[in-house]
Amino acid sequence: MKKSNSLTVPIRIALVSLVACGILFPGVVTSIAQLAMPVQANGSLISFHNTTIGSSLIAQDFNYSGFFQPRNDSASGLDPDITVQNATQQASKIHNVTGISMAYLDSIIKENTKYTLFFFGTAYVNVLDLNINLAEHYPAIYDRYSV
Amino acid sequence: MITTSAAFIIVVEFGSVLIGGWLLSSYLLKVYSTKRTRLDRIFGPIERTIYYLGGVNPYEEMGWKAYLRSVLALNAVEAAIGFVLLLYQGSLPLNPMHAPDMSWSLSLNTALSFSSNTNLQHYNGGSALSYMSQMAVIQFLQFTSAATGLSVGIAIFRGLTGKTKGLGNFYVDYTRTLVRVLIPLSGVTALILIFLGVPQSLNGYTIFKTLEIGGSEIVKSGPIASLVSIMQLGTNGGGYFGANAANPLTNPSQITNLFELAIMMLIPTSLPFLFGRMLGRMKEGRTIIVASYSLYFIDLLIAFIPITHIGQGMEVRFGAASSVFWTVTTTAFTTGSLNANLSAFNPLVILAGFFGMIIQATPGGIGVGAMYMLMYVIMTVFIVGLMAGRTPEYLGTKINASDVKLAIIAFLSHPIIILIPTVITFAIGAQVAVGLGTNSLSFTQILYEYTSAAANNGSDFLGSAGNTVYFNVSTGIVMWLGRFIPIAVMLAIAGNMVQRKRYASEALRTDTLAFTAVLIVAIFILAVLTFFPFLAIGPILSYLEGFKNGF
Repeated sequence: MKKSNSLTVPIRIALVSLVACGILFPGVVTSIAQLAMPVQANGSLISFHNTTIGSSLIAQDFNYSGFFQPRNDSASGLDPDITVQNATQQASKIHNVTGISMAYLDSIIKENTKYTLFFFGTAYVNVLDLNINLAEHYPAIYDRYSV
Repeated sequence: MITTSAAFIIVVEFGSVLIGGWLLSSYLLKVYSTKRTRLDRIFGPIERTIYYLGGVNPYEEMGWKAYLRSVLALNAVEAAIGFVLLLYQGSLPLNPMHAPDMSWSLSLNTALSFSSNTNLQHYNGGSALSYMSQMAVIQFLQFTSAATGLSVGIAIFRGLTGKTKGLGNFYVDYTRTLVRVLIPLSGVTALILIFLGVPQSLNGYTIFKTLEIGGSEIVKSGPIASLVSIMQLGTNGGGYFGANAANPLTNPSQITNLFELAIMMLIPTSLPFLFGRMLGRMKEGRTIIVASYSLYFIDLLIAFIPITHIGQGMEVRFGAASSVFWTVTTTAFTTGSLNANLSAFNPLVILAGFFGMIIQATPGGIGVGAMYMLMYVIMTVFIVGLMAGRTPEYLGTKINASDVKLAIIAFLSHPIIILIPTVITFAIGAQVAVGLGTNSLSFTQILYEYTSAAANNGSDFLGSAGNTVYFNVSTGIVMWLGRFIPIAVMLAIAGNMVQRKRYASEALRTDTLAFTAVLIVAIFILAVLTFFPFLAIGPILSYLEGFKNGF
């Protein structure tokens, strides 16, 4: 029986693997993704007033104290979410700064609440969702601060 | 404590993984047998093309030496390709973010790390790697090392079951693993991940003006989903970004979190079932799955003793329970991806992580986890044989003195390649370069580094801080020794056993729950007590000192 050449076979198989796994596989997956699911494939970008303002998956910095603030100690440093408890604490500060009613702030927190486990687990909100809502509903307050 | 939500995750997750693993094992049985199947019409031509391009004679049967030589040669060439591509990535195409060339020691560490299925990362992928490197080095080696691990596992199964002449043909096993298992599964899981929000593009990093005037953010999109899928399926663990699966772009929600965990557990869980199917005696497979899962549950129980709250270093969308669950699972399956920062955890969670990496068979990494469990079975059969005063036998064949000696070499290589470099590091003061001192917390981090390297796990505390020539070279060597010494030794045992005479009656039954219980206790005593003094001055001391909020 013919034996495989022990010198050239590993080199040739390694090159075939390189092309198949390292070039073709990610290339084909990228093509399908860009054709079939462009929104997710490009990082779930979101718009405000017809301009793209980044990805809904990544935390944004906010300096104006009338905005909800993300946390900056998490593992990735990009955590876009805060717990509902944290949001509620921030709401009273935002109420003091902007005069927006607590009832409204509580209602948008409630509207945007998600759960870590479908229906139970920790309740949390996306900071950017809250701030976009505020900027849309209170242009008199937020237009000076937002794009 | 295990809360209702933790219990819910655990039940749903394990239910789907065990059912999925069971179904997959029946498919794998066909993949690795020589019998014709209906899928040959699709996969056959692809495989024949690869054999033709590679110059492989698929009908050649290999003994353990030829099998091992092929494993080593192929992995060495693949590591060398990765090394060169990283060294010159700055001048290669697909580098819109202008990532510079990697230093020689970091290229070496990265190539050895990914080719050994470890995925220890002394760099931050989001800034240090080009798209070309993420694809043609990282994803390439994640596929090939997983295919190697699974092939070796199958060859060892063949040796122990003794139904074939040799151990098979490595190049055939490797090709069929890629073509029939890893590429199709990764393709499907990558598309599911993209649907759930993980990006997949080659358009470069984009800077956007954010909602507040004057603010900006950079969205580091790239071929992320295709990397995450094989990183998890192949128990690799090396993330696209430094923050790994904590980064929202690689793991955007709790659903992706549970899905990524499940695909990590899938193949290692299916292998004990496959072993039972290959033998035609499912009860022998049961021994392996029950032993590995029991040890894994002990791990989980230890980790859930302290109440963990969402704190620094954890992501809100996962919650504390999922973060602990992931950390224990990623070490138990020697994958090493993380969805939180290790320093966020109570020392008991870290201790549970150590157990997974010390035992390496709970259920362990793709292919090799089952291999380590069979190593423990051989040692246990021998110990029990001595106690009962009988010749040790397994699966109807005698276990020779040489088998036991080899198994002990495989077993002892693990503590040797962990403890010696750990001690050397402190003896020469190398820990100072990564900002560590000489206390229990620093000791834990260095011990963890080498344990993770030797166990081919890859999770670590150091991250890109570990990018020094000393740590790059020393962990690089440990990773390859930790990968290929046990593989060589276990292939030798399998090669020696494959043609050995089989008897109908067995002196000691290994398919009973009583034997499984003895096996669990033996593993615990053998593995954990070897490391006990070192764990005592590391995480256990930290816990006793009351560093409740980690390191």
